[in-house]
Amino acid sequence: MLFSSITFLYYFLPLTVVLYFALPRRFKNTVLLAASLVFYGWGEPGHVWLLVLSAVLGYVSGRLVGKYQKQRAGKIFFTASVIVSLSVLLYYKYADFFLENYNALSAADVPLLHPALPVGISFYTFQLISYTADVYRGEKEQKNIIQLAVYVTMFPQLVAGPVVRYSDIAAQLDGRKHSWQKAAAGIRRFVTGLAKKVLIADQLGELCSAYTGSDEKSVLFGWLYAIAFALQIYFDFSGYSDMAIGLCRVFGFHLPENFQYPFISASITEFWRRWHISLGRWFRDYVYIPLGGNRRGRGRQLLNILVVWTLTGFWHGAAWNFILWGLLFAVLLAAEKFWLLKKLEKSRIFSRIYTLFFVLLSFVVFSAENAGQAVRNLGGLFGAGGIPLVSDEAVYSLQSFGTVLLAGVIGATPAVHVLAEKLSESPKGGILIKSFAPFVFAALALVVTAYLVDGSFQPFLYFRF
Amino acid sequence: MNTKKSACVFCMTFLLLSGGGFLLCLFQPEAEYLYSERRLPAPAPVLSADAVKSGRFMKDFDAYAVDAFPFRENFRRIKAVTAGKIFARRDNNGVYVADGYISSMEYPMNEESLEYAAERFRYVCRKYLTDKNKVYLSVIPDKNCFLAEESGHLSMDYAEFERQMAAKLDAAEYIPVSDLLELEDYYKTDPHWRQEKITDVAERLAQSMNTELSRDYKSHTLEQDFYGAYYGQAALPLAPDEIQYMTTEATDSCTVYDWQNRKEIPVYDLKKAAGRDPYEMFLSGSLSLVTIKNPAKADKSLVIFRDSFGSGIAPLLVSGYSQITLVDIRYIHPDYLGQFMEFGDSDVLFLYSTLVLNHSDTIR
Repeated sequence: MLFSSITFLYYFLPLTVVLYFALPRRFKNTVLLAASLVFYGWGEPGHVWLLVLSAVLGYVSGRLVGKYQKQRAGKIFFTASVIVSLSVLLYYKYADFFLENYNALSAADVPLLHPALPVGISFYTFQLISYTADVYRGEKEQKNIIQLAVYVTMFPQLVAGPVVRYSDIAAQLDGRKHSWQKAAAGIRRFVTGLAKKVLIADQLGELCSAYTGSDEKSVLFGWLYAIAFALQIYFDFSGYSDMAIGLCRVFGFHLPENFQYPFISASITEFWRRWHISLGRWFRDYVYIPLGGNRRGRGRQLLNILVVWTLTGFWHGAAWNFILWGLLFAVLLAAEKFWLLKKLEKSRIFSRIYTLFFVLLSFVVFSAENAGQAVRNLGGLFGAGGIPLVSDEAVYSLQSFGTVLLAGVIGATPAVHVLAEKLSESPKGGILIKSFAPFVFAALALVVTAYLVDGSFQPFLYFRF
Repeated sequence: MNTKKSACVFCMTFLLLSGGGFLLCLFQPEAEYLYSERRLPAPAPVLSADAVKSGRFMKDFDAYAVDAFPFRENFRRIKAVTAGKIFARRDNNGVYVADGYISSMEYPMNEESLEYAAERFRYVCRKYLTDKNKVYLSVIPDKNCFLAEESGHLSMDYAEFERQMAAKLDAAEYIPVSDLLELEDYYKTDPHWRQEKITDVAERLAQSMNTELSRDYKSHTLEQDFYGAYYGQAALPLAPDEIQYMTTEATDSCTVYDWQNRKEIPVYDLKKAAGRDPYEMFLSGSLSLVTIKNPAKADKSLVIFRDSFGSGIAPLLVSGYSQITLVDIRYIHPDYLGQFMEFGDSDVLFLYSTLVLNHSDTIR
């Protein structure tokens, strides 16, 4: 089920919220679990069993690893659990990629498996690994299977994150508090995310589709596409994270932040501290540091960076352009770590231009169907292939999407947030905000509803990961 | 207002919005027909184990929930206004309003589609026509041709469009009509041309096909407002059109036979004028095969392969022919035509709008 759907907003959500708050505390996790399974089953009825099995596997592994903590058996159970979790992910997400490449390299003709990719598998697999790893490292295992299942399946963040570490919400699974203030903050966050997705990301998606479907490519159109796609994926994904964080807050949970205005970064290093924070943290804690991080000399650090960023790229999709995308960041991050960062610190303007330039290029690679298209699209940005500088379609798109692009650019900076903060700090502004907030957010929700009623579904980009 | 109280008010506002929406979704009577969109709403899905297992129930429910949403029309209007006024979008779902006219942004020219259409026309010629048949082609430009340049929207190269179609069907004599047309010849809220404005086009076609038309037109205006197909798509509050139709002695005395439903029909069906799509009053709308017989004229017949624009102009041509057969090969495969009609020495006119030629996959 999509957050940005009438079914979710006007059927699933009110029913779940009423049921959740109407029932006594001891049933709240059960309501969340049941709602999560319905939520997941709505879009993926054929894969609910896999989700349930993964939760059960996580529970059993956690109990076994916990029971034999700091013993050889604990290590074996932990390793086995990680292998099983990754095998499931490998089968569903990467089997055909490996077979295709094997066939291409060996001229063999091994038939592809074509498994249907379960939505959100990359996210919940990583959460399960995080849980067993945390238990292996000494965190107390979860003895209540319902609570663990809620951690794995919780619908607000089930299909597109943030990737929540078990240790982050272990205490909240059992003893979270609810309040009007938390719920109101959660609703505000949810509506903001919804508006980011429906009003900005989906409209920019139209511009991206216009570019990819056009036979009239031009340099201007290419750059418009690069900017639009970068903003689209930001508003789409950060919008989803806002919705997830907001909904969880309504239900009393506090999830970690996933985005911190990444486009204002002055380096790629900073960009990755602000973009998909929970994934970066996961790779840092469960791959980079266990591999030795920066503690074993420069050569090893370089290798670790390469491994982490190849895996990060590969996590996003089973295709070479995603690996290229990860490697591009590996090169940039390594360069920054070893010498570039100090030079970038000298110029606030150049460092931001440099960051935006490479981020835009990276998303052109990211958005391509395959590595060949990625190279063609990159070339198109610089007029390769003799494409013209300007085309009618590019000019029209600029005119038609100019305001949305501008809204996207402003919204990608903290400007609006800072303005609202300043306003709320003043006595009159504070009263104004408190008085009008319900109306403003209600109006926003109604406009989003209008877009949903008028349009067809636009699935979230990060669902495919 | 303290923080807790304002948070409580905030939450209640949203509970009311979402919960109220839920109750309205449950209890508001569903529309039987979405008039402005000219379509049936998605039906409520039937719950069954199979439907749930396959995901069909959920998919159907999502579609149903959108179509059955309370105040759907108002929400579509809010969306259109937001897109235009707040986001300054130049079009809404490919439709735009300029100078009070609503038009779809027909762009770009789809050469594959043109080739496919031309191939289907060539197939008809090969299968049925002989040296006795004179073949003509005429392309009707859509409204975007006259509106886009001035309003700054994308448009095709219409001259090139006509040139390509004429070249692809070189066995036909091309009759240009775009020079006779202008924006005012089209309805403001509908893609079609206005019958009362195209008598000159009918004259041009008749002259080119060596026949004469009587000019005893009488104009009639329908009382009811006409909200055309684009009106619903634009979802904006715009003034309706009025429909005028032209009668002649020939249209008064001719008989029209609908082969699809095997019955006689009027040239102008005033019942349909009051129906879901008033433009269907012209020769009863989208029918696969229609024959008009004019007893006042002898021995000159015409077969028109056409789309819905043909329904508007065919009555104006009646006085020049003893029989006009209108064939819409979007609704009947050309292979079946031989069962219902003979081409004899009829003139054959392929009369199509750019809207259909540029999306010709509907042609059989």
